Amino acid sequence: MSKKEVAKYREKVNWKKELRLLPGYLIVTIWILFGAAFLLWILAASLSTSREIFSGTVFQFQSGFHFENYVNAWNAQNVSVYFANSLLYASVSCVGVLLIAGPASYVLSRFEFFANKVVKSSLIVAMGIPAIMIIMPIYSMTVRWGIKGRALLIFLYICMHVPNTTIYLLNFFATLSRTYEEAAAIDGCSPAKTFWVIMLPLIQPALITITIFNFLGVWNEFFMALIFASSEKMMSVGVGLLQIVNAMKYTGNYGGLFAAVVIVFMPTFILYLFLSEKIIAGVTGGGIKG
Amino acid sequence: MKKNKSMIVCFLLPCVLAILIVYLYPVLRTLLMSFFKIESVTSDISNWSFYGLGNYKRIFGSATFRTAMWNMFRIWLVGGIITLSIALLFAVILTSGIRFKKFFRAAIYLPNVISAVALATMWVQYVYNNDYGMLNKMLRSVGLEGVKWLGTDTKFWAMLAAFIFGAVGYYMLIFISGIERIPQDLYEAAIIDGAGIVQRFTRITMPLLKGIMKTNITFWTINSATFYLWSKMFSPVDTESSTIVPVVYLYELIFGGKSVSERDAGAGAAVGVTLAVIILLAYLVMNRVFKEDDLEF
Repeated sequence: MSKKEVAKYREKVNWKKELRLLPGYLIVTIWILFGAAFLLWILAASLSTSREIFSGTVFQFQSGFHFENYVNAWNAQNVSVYFANSLLYASVSCVGVLLIAGPASYVLSRFEFFANKVVKSSLIVAMGIPAIMIIMPIYSMTVRWGIKGRALLIFLYICMHVPNTTIYLLNFFATLSRTYEEAAAIDGCSPAKTFWVIMLPLIQPALITITIFNFLGVWNEFFMALIFASSEKMMSVGVGLLQIVNAMKYTGNYGGLFAAVVIVFMPTFILYLFLSEKIIAGVTGGGIKG
Repeated sequence: MKKNKSMIVCFLLPCVLAILIVYLYPVLRTLLMSFFKIESVTSDISNWSFYGLGNYKRIFGSATFRTAMWNMFRIWLVGGIITLSIALLFAVILTSGIRFKKFFRAAIYLPNVISAVALATMWVQYVYNNDYGMLNKMLRSVGLEGVKWLGTDTKFWAMLAAFIFGAVGYYMLIFISGIERIPQDLYEAAIIDGAGIVQRFTRITMPLLKGIMKTNITFWTINSATFYLWSKMFSPVDTESSTIVPVVYLYELIFGGKSVSERDAGAGAAVGVTLAVIILLAYLVMNRVFKEDDLEF
């Protein structure tokens, strides 16, 4: 397919064909231009003063570029705290999920045993359970037992991503030949060690894909963070940004607001610039909810 | 084999515990809560009193909940038709052999990977702004009056439009993967037989996309039932009847808020169960309506 496409690009431009496709080009271009225009405006506004934003002259930069908006958002508006929290939640959760889902997925795909089908189907059911069905008991449990803090959110994020990760990895383990394990067993390698040293590294591409999705999922998560991040110190970028928006009525610092928006938006945007092909392949091929 | 047994247990245990602690126990308890009179979400089981279907009667009797359900229904129906139509249109355009397909595809999907809170903030604070907003500027540049987009009358539709703009990309990708699985020779044969572009779409593409349609409608139903973030971002402080959805109502029943007079965890659980039943029904109905015909192609 990719080869065919390369060949297609090298063909001479067939003007008749392109003309027939013109309406299509127009429609998608307008859609994308609209998105691009408003992204550019946000970027420009994040470098302007509130006065310039309100007078509608953000693209002229009459008073220069106000990079202090970013400094202000980062320090005074606590974005640095939210950012560090989200980074912590996302990275620790991603590793934790793999440590739980990887082994589980391996034994589910490799060994026949009594509970195999039960666990598999409960994982699939769990994937369809909305967060609203689980928050109340978890909330009351954590309040009564006095569990709070960043570890709680990380624990919840890990558990919530175990079902989809385990199910996703199943197929990849199923494609690996059993000769790896046989050879390792002959050499005296224990089954558990075989998994960690040989089998898990073999599905590295799948691990990377699912980790990208888990990272995006945790970074952009809002509902659980809103409920379980009880103090400003634990807030993730999403909840923190809502906080900043709500405070805007009093501070009136619009440049700072848009700078905060850009800071929240940038990490996943940059990730996407490099990994869009992999992400899109994951959505269309793996059936992962993006 | 003995060794394998202990390995299976060790490898599977954390995963099983995660399901039990975060899914099985909470779901069962929420189900139970919906049949009890419970004031605070944290109160002990010994303080619950059996209430039968009282919670369900209460929420369905509440005007706020009915408004929320009506809003959800409008999001599902109107938003669904618009989103899936645009997504299908884009999918057809992008698979029609146009150049820069990969770029277009990536750009349209982009809103799905960035923080929805940031996205919603951009819409509320910029696109719909009265003074310097994008839409009003466009209107004024052609000599029209600016519109107060976030006023009570238009707020719901403003929210829905912003949501749709972000959602289209995901459904488009699913449609594209479906269209690309349709063998090209079907189209070539149809062209030889003199079928036009419209006929090719209605006679080949649409029927063969049945399974994909099912996936997309099911996902859209789940998305509508659990719709929360955009409603919160469009009415961040006080809940308004123009944007309230069931999950917002549920949240305020548990944690307090403007739309409820007193906290009622039992009623909150009943809202949750109602939404879960809607999602379950969506799965069942979709499997009934779009029976897999075992199309082989």
